Amino acid sequence: MDLVRFEGFSFRYKGNEVYALDNINLRIEENKFILLCGETGSGKTTLIRCMNGLIPQFYSGFYKGKVFVHGMDTTNTSIANLSTEVGIVFQNPENQLIAMNVEHEIAFGLENLGVHPKEISKRIKESASLTEIEHILDKAPFELSGGEQQRVAIASILVLKPKFLILDEPTALLDPYMAKKIITLLKEIQLDRNLSIMISEHRLDLVIPFAEEMVLMKEGRIVEHDSRDSVLNGLIFQNLKLNKPVIYTIFSELKKRNLIKGNIPASIPAALDLIKKFQHE
Amino acid sequence: MSLEFLNAFKFMKKESFLHNLDPRTKLILALIYTIGALLYNQIMPLFFIFLSLLPIVVFGKILKQWVKSIRGLSFLVIFIIILNTLFISLSFAIAMVLRICIMVSAFSIFFLTVDPNDLALSLISMKIPYEFAFSFSLAFRFVPTIAIEAQNIIDAQQSRGYEMQKKGIISQIKNLFPLLIPLIICSIKRAFNVAEALESRAFGSNKERSYYYTIKFSKKDWIFTIYLILVLTTLILIRIQFNSMPAWFLWGLPL
Amino acid sequence: MMKELPLIIIESVDYIYPNGTAALKNISLTIHKGEMVAIMGKNGAGKTTLIRTLNGLIRPTVGDIYINNENTNMKSIAELSQRVGLIFQNPSHQLFANSVEEEIKFSLKNLYQDNEELQAKTDDVLKSFNLEKYRERSPLNLSGGESKKLAVASIMCRDPEILVFDEPTLGQDANEIESFIKFIDSEKKKEKTIIIITHNIEFAFEFIPRTILMAEGKIVADGPTQIILSNNFLTERSSLVLPQTRQLSLALSNIGFQELTNITSRHEITEYLVKVLENKVTSIKEE
Repeated sequence: MDLVRFEGFSFRYKGNEVYALDNINLRIEENKFILLCGETGSGKTTLIRCMNGLIPQFYSGFYKGKVFVHGMDTTNTSIANLSTEVGIVFQNPENQLIAMNVEHEIAFGLENLGVHPKEISKRIKESASLTEIEHILDKAPFELSGGEQQRVAIASILVLKPKFLILDEPTALLDPYMAKKIITLLKEIQLDRNLSIMISEHRLDLVIPFAEEMVLMKEGRIVEHDSRDSVLNGLIFQNLKLNKPVIYTIFSELKKRNLIKGNIPASIPAALDLIKKFQHE
Repeated sequence: MSLEFLNAFKFMKKESFLHNLDPRTKLILALIYTIGALLYNQIMPLFFIFLSLLPIVVFGKILKQWVKSIRGLSFLVIFIIILNTLFISLSFAIAMVLRICIMVSAFSIFFLTVDPNDLALSLISMKIPYEFAFSFSLAFRFVPTIAIEAQNIIDAQQSRGYEMQKKGIISQIKNLFPLLIPLIICSIKRAFNVAEALESRAFGSNKERSYYYTIKFSKKDWIFTIYLILVLTTLILIRIQFNSMPAWFLWGLPL
Repeated sequence: MMKELPLIIIESVDYIYPNGTAALKNISLTIHKGEMVAIMGKNGAGKTTLIRTLNGLIRPTVGDIYINNENTNMKSIAELSQRVGLIFQNPSHQLFANSVEEEIKFSLKNLYQDNEELQAKTDDVLKSFNLEKYRERSPLNLSGGESKKLAVASIMCRDPEILVFDEPTLGQDANEIESFIKFIDSEKKKEKTIIIITHNIEFAFEFIPRTILMAEGKIVADGPTQIILSNNFLTERSSLVLPQTRQLSLALSNIGFQELTNITSRHEITEYLVKVLENKVTSIKEE
């Protein structure tokens, strides 16, 4: 069963004339690492909010069509219930950390669900180990660095054991080294836990090497959803005004001049292989 | 009174007998000292009550912060002394100063040593609905964040020529708009973000909530509470028999 | 573009917070008129503290700062902010007026006593920033991009000669970054001095000639961006990564294309690879 399925879903926020989402048909399958990208205002954050029922339950507006999370209709299943299927980590960790120490932060979601403290303790250990924060469990949120805060936010969602984890610009406030670490960590978590993870990002060069699928949005519509290599080599990606990775720019130029064939490389090792291969043709 | 004064009420995690006490015990402490302070108008009893706070503060390892909270009162103290001396007597004025110091100290002790989280838990144990108790602790948690945001707003406005000092009451009020409006708007946006994050973690689920951290009234709490009740009883008894107290106890300044 | 005396001179500046932590340690640097400089470094390295000393929001605990030969300690924040325009990340921290027009007027009112002049200058600013159509609109009703533009306009309208940006490319798509590049290009042509705090390595590598690298309150490097950001040791110490062009050229030179060791621009790498693939250049390992 699809983790999330959009069927002809459109949505506009109350007070807005323009539809933020226009006729979305999207299926998210298990076990995929997905990059969601699009120009500013294309509807990425709005799309994300639909995945756990925040739209239409928390954000009022007008909608058409349906969204199903693991078969459950997001219009009549409580957000609390949907939170055990789909977890969302928002952009600014500052606004997600509400407890006075990390351990309690992670416990919070489970407390809300009435989980027994012994089970909570067990799951805290698991989540903390997965996100490498065992050493800061007793620290207060404001004592943490940006990277640590982000990992705490992720741990506090993972503890609910969703099958699908979504992150909205997780690297926005991080320096480049930390940003790379977080994306690498997320890939490890995806493989370790058999989750699907979707990352919405402007910093494409960070995520493209790890992505299996890409979803492109423009003006509230999904203009492409396919395997990463298909999207990367397609015309739509070429024409969107996104922050394309340097490797993409260089190699799409080489492809244009017919000096290489096949897929534009998504990472440096792939780029090297390609050069070696076509050097002698 | 600068923002420094507020720092004297900020919770700081430490190891001391005071920090380890149940928050309800400390609330009882604050209340009993407040009642005690209100029982008397005279310098000597108030002075002793004030002195009795000192060992608590010292053993609670919060001496520095407590001193700051008293110091922050200095402006108010001068004001009280002047007004009361003019209208009643210097003796009364000093007594009032002591009274204020006792009440502020008692609550300062409370806020300095109670983890906001435990505060919420203690409210819940008094049968206050979880949502209210939680909003309370959430407010605490975000105070420093909003303070930083306010500073950023001041910086941003000053960077475009906004000047903080203005003359005249009306000017001063108008001058607050460039600071207040961004602060309010940012806080509202923040509130939305926090709310959606909470929803996404099953806040408001219809299942009965469990509690990972709990607070328990220990033996030390019972002992201390009983001690506080005895202190209050003694104070009340002394008050009733006040006029039969030795002369030095009734001493007041001639003025 | 070097004039005799530097426009900005920072001499042995320390800044220590009231609680005792040192945010800036012995900072010394000079910036000449018309230069474009990136300030990079780990979060918490002192970058935002440093830029705040330029317009007086923060006064050095030790040391002096001279802007156009005048010690900043002798000037108020309002006076300094006429020379130094600090443009922060979040427009919401600034916008509050009833209309876009009022917003601009607020920034200008201390500079233009005469009402007619004030109005004329406001009209001018609205036009040059393409905000004329929003004149009556509430600043709170603008889209993200437009409010950012308004925030920039509200600082630029005071014609500062030094522009300081705090993370201007954060969360921006390619369109917005392109607009930003056009903007600073046009300011550069007016001989404005531009300082940019950024984490965007690719952007700095390609567009900003000089980089000041900070770590733990100190300056650890100050020089040409292309050299500093190509240095593995420096980038690691500052929690940065090598720019992609650099990573690619290093990787390629490791498999034998030695000539690429010093090549840094996207264009040069592309042209080099074109030659390789047309078999005009072979890697040394193959021979």
